[in-house]
Amino acid sequence: MKLTRRDFSIGLAAGLAAPALIRSASAQGATIKIGMVLPVTGSAAEQGKFALNGAKLALEAVNKAGGVLGKQLELVTEDDQTTNPGVVLAFSKLAAQPDIVAFLGSIRSTQVHAMAPDVLKLGKPMAIGGTDPNLTHMGNKWLFRFRPNDSYSGSVIAEYGVNTLGKKKWAILHSTDAFGTAGGKALTEGLAKLGIKPVLDQGYANQSQDFTPVVLAIKQSGADVLGSYFTFENDLGIFARQLRQLGVNIPWVGSPSIVGVSSTRLAGATLYGTYGVADYAEDSSEASKAYGKAYRDAYKLAPDNQSAWTYDAINVLAKAMNTAKSTEPEKIRAAILAIKKYQGAEGEYNFDENGDGLHGYNIVKNEKGNIVFEKHIEATK
Amino acid sequence: MDQILQLLFTGIGIGSVYALVALGFVLIFRATNVVNFAQGEFSMVAAYLMVVFSFDLGWPYWLSFLIALAGMALLGVIFNLGVYYPLRHRTYLPVIIATIGASILLANSVLAIYGPAPQVLEGWFSTPGIQLGPVYLDSQYLLIIAVTLALVVFNFWFFEHTMIGKKLQATSQDKEMASLLGISVSTMIMITFIYSAVLGGLAGILVAPILFVSIQMGSTIALKAFAATIIGGFGDVTGAIIGGLALGIIETFGAAYISVPYKDAFAFMVLILFLVFRPQGIFGERVAEKA
Repeated sequence: MKLTRRDFSIGLAAGLAAPALIRSASAQGATIKIGMVLPVTGSAAEQGKFALNGAKLALEAVNKAGGVLGKQLELVTEDDQTTNPGVVLAFSKLAAQPDIVAFLGSIRSTQVHAMAPDVLKLGKPMAIGGTDPNLTHMGNKWLFRFRPNDSYSGSVIAEYGVNTLGKKKWAILHSTDAFGTAGGKALTEGLAKLGIKPVLDQGYANQSQDFTPVVLAIKQSGADVLGSYFTFENDLGIFARQLRQLGVNIPWVGSPSIVGVSSTRLAGATLYGTYGVADYAEDSSEASKAYGKAYRDAYKLAPDNQSAWTYDAINVLAKAMNTAKSTEPEKIRAAILAIKKYQGAEGEYNFDENGDGLHGYNIVKNEKGNIVFEKHIEATK
Repeated sequence: MDQILQLLFTGIGIGSVYALVALGFVLIFRATNVVNFAQGEFSMVAAYLMVVFSFDLGWPYWLSFLIALAGMALLGVIFNLGVYYPLRHRTYLPVIIATIGASILLANSVLAIYGPAPQVLEGWFSTPGIQLGPVYLDSQYLLIIAVTLALVVFNFWFFEHTMIGKKLQATSQDKEMASLLGISVSTMIMITFIYSAVLGGLAGILVAPILFVSIQMGSTIALKAFAATIIGGFGDVTGAIIGGLALGIIETFGAAYISVPYKDAFAFMVLILFLVFRPQGIFGERVAEKA
């Protein structure tokens, strides 16, 4: 056989291209990919580490149980740098990969807001942990929330403070970011339903170095109970110390960050005796207990909501894809919305038409550094 | 009145922290004519060194303190040789950009080595503070104020009454003339970097019991210290102290009597006003545009 120059060229081209083609063909079908944006750098880097811990734990469990549609599940991560431009860039990098079938978004509402338009444009499901109620009420059908939203936390904080602690003069303190503003509003609304108008509604900017003016305002208001929405545990730690140093010892019911691992460690005794709403409370159910044990065994750390929601999100996405027998976005969406009475680490998931999976909160108490489950309140809203 | 006294104490306390970091800015600026944007990261690194030695390794606090400051002196040397020295003959802009790059490198190196979790660093005192009539005096703030005052006195003595201080002054005023007079300019600049790294480190160690130890702590303080330096006058030691204290008091009172969420904005509104109407600051010469 005579080898022409044309044959040689075709052969050479095929030879050079083959490994890449084979690699690409095998890569496309080998795993089912889930994208995850998380803060690896920036002010919420610690939260990002916990979020990844939870997601990896679920990934391992799903894959050990046979994976999704007979394939292994794979996580592709991008650093959002804890900033809005960072999260948009991180999501765009993941969105450019067509074989990613679903996403895990941020626990920070501000950042979910930043990438929400791109999620809507892409049209694939995204699991989020941000608790601003608006996120699932702004017509974006691809956002699914794996934590209770703040309209529930607001009413649960209000109900516990008023009906169980018997307090009527409320001071509300909240961050001025999307999470804190929505949380403060939700608490005000929760109190309004009980016929109470707060004596103080005070916002503060994230990364504050000093809270003396805030503490003095609380003192002057004559409040007998404090409700708070802190975004960063560092801020909460600084505030807690100054609050007690300046002699304010009124009961305090806070949003989930008040019972976070870092807050408890940073603020120490100044948080003893405080209450918090917690989506994740280890003793609240058998599923929560089992998750807590698995998490402690794997990471030698106390579990908290930062990791529990991503654990549930991966499990629910896997379950939805297996039920739908497909990775088509619309089919995954329908399968998630059909999930009822699913026992997750965070609680019982019953997805509503807005994409909210959980509808209640646990009240927990800081007893000398131990977070103790008090009661579960299923919100009426 | 009680409230005013309480706010004044806190304002002076936090203002002293800004002043300490601002001092580092000023010293480097005087010696090299550039702004070192890694000054805040010096504070952060020193606080982490304290956590490693006194908390993780359990060494005595005073020993950890000395090691941390020695570590900062070494960082000053490395910073001078690695960031400033190779670019010393260029205009000030590449050097400023290099210091920004170095600050990002320092922050991310600490993040990679130590992880993102904020840490607790206890202070020198076993008691958190004292109640003096209606005013609560945080012991750590008292220490910070005392150290700042001591440094003001020390700087005055050092720069005005010691030979090395005079050589440093001569170098900052005219490098060529200083060199002709037999002063080793590069040694003087090296000493300045060491001293300002130690100052930044001292600020970080002192403020850590109040703000906790985190990757962001340096940049948060440095931004305010930078504003304080503009207000006081870039290049003026007294200005840095006055600017820092003024800023601490302005933002504390602004937050209490005008708006808490806009607390940080007050600092930058004052900064803008100074840049527009008095770019040389309270005491300084007209050099703010170099920032």
